[in-house]
Amino acid sequence: MNAKVLIVDDDDQLVSAYLDYLTGLGYSVDTAGEIEEAQTLLTHFRYAVVITDLRLSRLSFGGLDLVKFIRNASLATRVVVLTAYGWPELKAEAANEGVDVFLRKPMRLSDLARTVAVLSGGAA
Amino acid sequence: MRKSLLDRILDPQQLSVRFQPIFSIGLGEHQLHSVEALIRGPRGTHFEAAPILFDYVRRKKEERAVDNSCIAAICAEVAGLPRELRINVNVHAATLGQNPGFVDSLRRQAYKHSLSLDRFTVEIVEYAPTCDIPELSRTVASLRKAGMRIALDDVGVGQSNYRMMLDCHPEYFKLDAYFVRDLKNDSKRRAVVESVVTFGKALHSAVVAEAAESIDDITILGDMGVEFVQCNLLCPAVTLEELRAKNILGEPANRFAFAQSAGVETKSIKDIGHIPSGSALFV
Repeated sequence: MNAKVLIVDDDDQLVSAYLDYLTGLGYSVDTAGEIEEAQTLLTHFRYAVVITDLRLSRLSFGGLDLVKFIRNASLATRVVVLTAYGWPELKAEAANEGVDVFLRKPMRLSDLARTVAVLSGGAA
Repeated sequence: MRKSLLDRILDPQQLSVRFQPIFSIGLGEHQLHSVEALIRGPRGTHFEAAPILFDYVRRKKEERAVDNSCIAAICAEVAGLPRELRINVNVHAATLGQNPGFVDSLRRQAYKHSLSLDRFTVEIVEYAPTCDIPELSRTVASLRKAGMRIALDDVGVGQSNYRMMLDCHPEYFKLDAYFVRDLKNDSKRRAVVESVVTFGKALHSAVVAEAAESIDDITILGDMGVEFVQCNLLCPAVTLEELRAKNILGEPANRFAFAQSAGVETKSIKDIGHIPSGSALFV
């Protein structure tokens, strides 16, 4: 069974690029453009990996709010946070909230795919 | 730029409507009483499923806007149903409690499609403790004044509690599916049904049992004084075209002995006996 991945970003072009790439690798991919949409999908479906932008729905660190939601719901979902910022404090906070991997944008799609493969146990 | 999910949901043309019949089960006269109009979200998305759609809407706190869109979509579709048929529509308690203009909005949509308001039953869903009870009560009174009836959805679970029963004083209690299972063998569930029926009688409210799973359960419900059932066993939620095709919208008064349509001629539901779970008389 294909690993299920949720991509959360309000940038349609980036979402489309991630979606095409990961789908092409065999993942089952859903997308959400805002935190409420992501929360709804996470409530009704199980995802192996969530890839979320840090800046979400006009919230500076909305991605971390989503991580809190995932951890509060005790979901086993692994989380990748994408951001253009590389501040050490931010990384520390993200790790503290339960982020599994913190990736700086822009990154190569192959790097993202490798991360997803590791987090999902290599199952595409 | 791509329209947001919420924008698409708020466009009534992106919503589709299904109808699920509600049947009277009293005294062996098993007749079509009304249909509940149920909304599905944008096709081809996860939000086509109603639980996901409305979960999202509630997270966005857009119950009022989405209820208006749903009413618009439903009124457009209902125009294709026989004029005598009663229609149940779901409306969030938050909408009724925070939006004094809702009744006018509903009225405009009904008039736009030449629908009589007294055909509608408003099913109140998702009452929240923060709901403005006085405003809700005023809106309910306005709905009644306009000729509509009130139903309280999901009775027995969530916030559809005694306070809501008293505050709304609905014409119908819709008993949640949880209490309707395996009544033949479950005396505790029968006790719940009995208590709701008793309470309903005191308030002059009828009880609608949702999601009965066997003819045995429907028979027991009828014997206990439940007047109506709505369940996939008898007919799942279907499109307008499917509803018409099932030939259950009989003229002149939309009355229908469903045992007859099921090919059982003059037998009552008690004569039909057990129907295996998962089958449906009108599927």
